Amino acid sequence: MKFTEGQLFYTTFNVSEDVYDGFISTFHDRNPLHTDATFAREKGFKDKVMHGNILNGFLSCFIGEHLPYKNVIIHTQEIQYKKPVYLNDILSFTAEIISVTESVNVIEFKFFFENSEGIKVAKGKIQIGLLL
Amino acid sequence: MDRSEILEQINAIFKDTLDNDEVTVAETTIAADVDDWDSLTHIQLVVAIEKHFKIKFTSWDIQSWNNVGEMMNTIQAKGI
Repeated sequence: MKFTEGQLFYTTFNVSEDVYDGFISTFHDRNPLHTDATFAREKGFKDKVMHGNILNGFLSCFIGEHLPYKNVIIHTQEIQYKKPVYLNDILSFTAEIISVTESVNVIEFKFFFENSEGIKVAKGKIQIGLLL
Repeated sequence: MDRSEILEQINAIFKDTLDNDEVTVAETTIAADVDDWDSLTHIQLVVAIEKHFKIKFTSWDIQSWNNVGEMMNTIQAKGI
């Protein structure tokens, strides 16, 4: 499988009720910012804020399911949360390969998530290894 | 670039990659001499060294190394 620097990947993710409920039922983070709309509004947000690590789940899905090569493993990832994400947001995801290290079969991406208003809500980098 | 300068820069990469300011490697150093220099760290070191020196190793290059000095030979052979 050939990966090249500059190669782009696009997909969308839906922060659906199922995703939100599944995250809470799995990880038990019921902080009021994520579960109490009144509390979140008092803190200046327009509604309860989705857990940032839901986006990490989407990253896992991208690496595991959306690449044209399935034998991959995540080495490292970093993410910056820039703006809040709300329930039922549809996030456009863009990833670009920024380096290919063929000697050790490593690919590095930079990525960002954008909401339907075109606002970048998170960005970061992720490094994967190809299992040949 | 002379070997002492390359080694100095390699040491900075090791410190950063291993997140350990105490680590120091010499030309005779092998992976077993350095705590945390495991297979995943080795990959991170190779990626970091390639980026730093703006060179590309081949898998053959990497398999040929027995110590840091042999890695430095490859770096110098690529014009550094």
